Amino acid sequence: MKKILIIDDSAVMRNLLLDYLADLKFDVDACGDAEEGISKAVTGDYDLCICDMHMPKASGLDVLRQVREARPELQFVFTDSLPDQLSEKVQKLGTFQYLHKPFELEQLRKIIVGLLKPVRTQ
Amino acid sequence: MNLLGRAINPNLRTKFLLPISAMLIVSMLLASGYMLDRQSDSFRSELETSGETMIKMLAINAESGVLFESEYMLDELLLVLARFEVVRYAVIVNLDGKVLSSTGKCNLECLQHIKSDHTVEPGGLCYKRYAEDSAGVEHLLLSTPVTTRRETVSREHLGMSDQVGTGLAIEQQDEVIGHIVIGLSLETVNEAIAEGRVAVILLSALVLIAGIFIVTLIVNIITKPVTALVAVTDTIRQGDLSRRLDIRQNDEIGHLARTFNSMIESLQQSREEIEEYNRTLEEKIVERTRQLEDAQAQLIQSEKLSAIGQLAAGVAHELNNPLGGILGYAQFTIEKLRKSTSKQGTSKEIASFLKYVSDIETQARRCKAIVQNLLKFSRSSRSVDFETVDLNAALEETVSFVEHQFRINQVELEVWLSPDLPNIQGNLGQLQQVFTNLLINALHASEPGQTVTMQSRISPAVGEFGGAVELLVIDKGHGVSPENLKKIFEPFFTTKEVGTGTGLGLSVSYGIIRDHDGEILVSSELGGGTTFTVVLPVQKSAASTDTGNRTKQSNHRQEES
Repeated sequence: MKKILIIDDSAVMRNLLLDYLADLKFDVDACGDAEEGISKAVTGDYDLCICDMHMPKASGLDVLRQVREARPELQFVFTDSLPDQLSEKVQKLGTFQYLHKPFELEQLRKIIVGLLKPVRTQ
Repeated sequence: MNLLGRAINPNLRTKFLLPISAMLIVSMLLASGYMLDRQSDSFRSELETSGETMIKMLAINAESGVLFESEYMLDELLLVLARFEVVRYAVIVNLDGKVLSSTGKCNLECLQHIKSDHTVEPGGLCYKRYAEDSAGVEHLLLSTPVTTRRETVSREHLGMSDQVGTGLAIEQQDEVIGHIVIGLSLETVNEAIAEGRVAVILLSALVLIAGIFIVTLIVNIITKPVTALVAVTDTIRQGDLSRRLDIRQNDEIGHLARTFNSMIESLQQSREEIEEYNRTLEEKIVERTRQLEDAQAQLIQSEKLSAIGQLAAGVAHELNNPLGGILGYAQFTIEKLRKSTSKQGTSKEIASFLKYVSDIETQARRCKAIVQNLLKFSRSSRSVDFETVDLNAALEETVSFVEHQFRINQVELEVWLSPDLPNIQGNLGQLQQVFTNLLINALHASEPGQTVTMQSRISPAVGEFGGAVELLVIDKGHGVSPENLKKIFEPFFTTKEVGTGTGLGLSVSYGIIRDHDGEILVSSELGGGTTFTVVLPVQKSAASTDTGNRTKQSNHRQEES
């Protein structure tokens, strides 16, 4: 079972993704604090991280920068509620999937399935 | 007061006339005085000369009469003399003082002179003086001695000579034997002098009058143009520059007048220029003030819209999370309900739940659209592909989308496209969204039968901003009031009935055009129609490199629905 970590300060989004992805048979973990999320992502054996761009203590960009060295194989899907320069900076660090809130659940599902293909073949 | 002033400060004419006239009068007086004096002298000396001649002749002729004391001879002589009117009296006396003959009135006083005057040497000049008779009448008194030649033979000489006759030594000596006194009347001389004086005075007066006349003329020649100059100068000082000096002389004064006239000419010219400049300056100030006010209003408007954009971005950011929750949960619920119905068959209750949640999803999607439009209005929404856009082609395509609606509403759509329009950099989809929005707005503002004009052209302001193209959408519809015109680009501002429009169309268009570094302008008259002008810059080098980056990035970006 693939493990997914959700980092989002919005409780409703966190809960929705937890419920939805659990229903899709993923091992889902979530936290609302960016720093806590970073330590979990570094120490945990997650396959994918769904990370919000705008959070109080750190941005999605900070999470990416800090986690990437320790876990280069970790996949990222970024979400944001306001398109701005942060997304452009993220794009400079590599090719990442990006979703603007409010997004369609179906769209998220397709992206995750695409990124975690081995799960589908298993 | 004026007279006093004139007396103390005489004018130029008086300054010239007075001294020259005074000089003239004084010199004439001196000249005529001198002339009179000389005339009188010459008359008297003439009288004296003729008197001397007369008395000498008389003395020669009276010699024998006196010698023989012949009264008869002497009377004859004096009778001849008395024929001259000028002779007042004549007296001949012997050495003893006895009057041998006399004519005219002779008083004793005259005779007294004889004794005293006989000092005159024989053959010498006669004695003369001006004397007054007892009546006090002045006359010329002349006296001269009568002489005879006496011969004396010297006896001593006789003895010394051998020859008689030749040996006689004869001494000749003039001896005074009597005196003649004549008085000559000055009447004729005085008359002549008086006549001469009258003539001199008349002549002097004539010359003086002529002189003053000529001086006045000359002074006038000098002062007249000066007076005219002063008069014109006064009118100029009072601000009237229309008057000119009318002096046509070829001398220095004429030159002065011409110079003065040309000076006034240039003065008038420069004053007119200044007045003209002042007038245009006022107009310019009014025009500039209006432009400034417009610019300020536009600035305030764009500041306001920018503030609203920031607010909209903040609102969108805050709404997107809950909205994501609502939409996501609705979709999740729908999915779950569908799965359960596929397993258990459709129950009536689940079907109605499905419908409710579908409604929630629909409305959430609508909210999502509104929020996305708000984000498009705010600057932070600038994350789209830019490419080379043929504006005319884009417009033609837009027209093909909307012309059906125009036909239905019986509004004519006229399209004027400039054939030599340069390409611009932009996002075709967004630009077409703006054009559609403007055309539909124009359609909604128009009554059936009216015409909406769409025109593309090179901006008249080309060159100033490095080149731009313009799109104009002109309707003849109901127009927009000035207060509404101020708010026309604000989000959620609409004059349409509630429910028929979101009030985001123009604000989204505004955001899009601003993202293209362009401008969207509106002018309207209530009842007279509205004109929207979209100005888009042509191929800015900075914009094109910026566009290149954006194009590359967005290739890897997930497109929104």
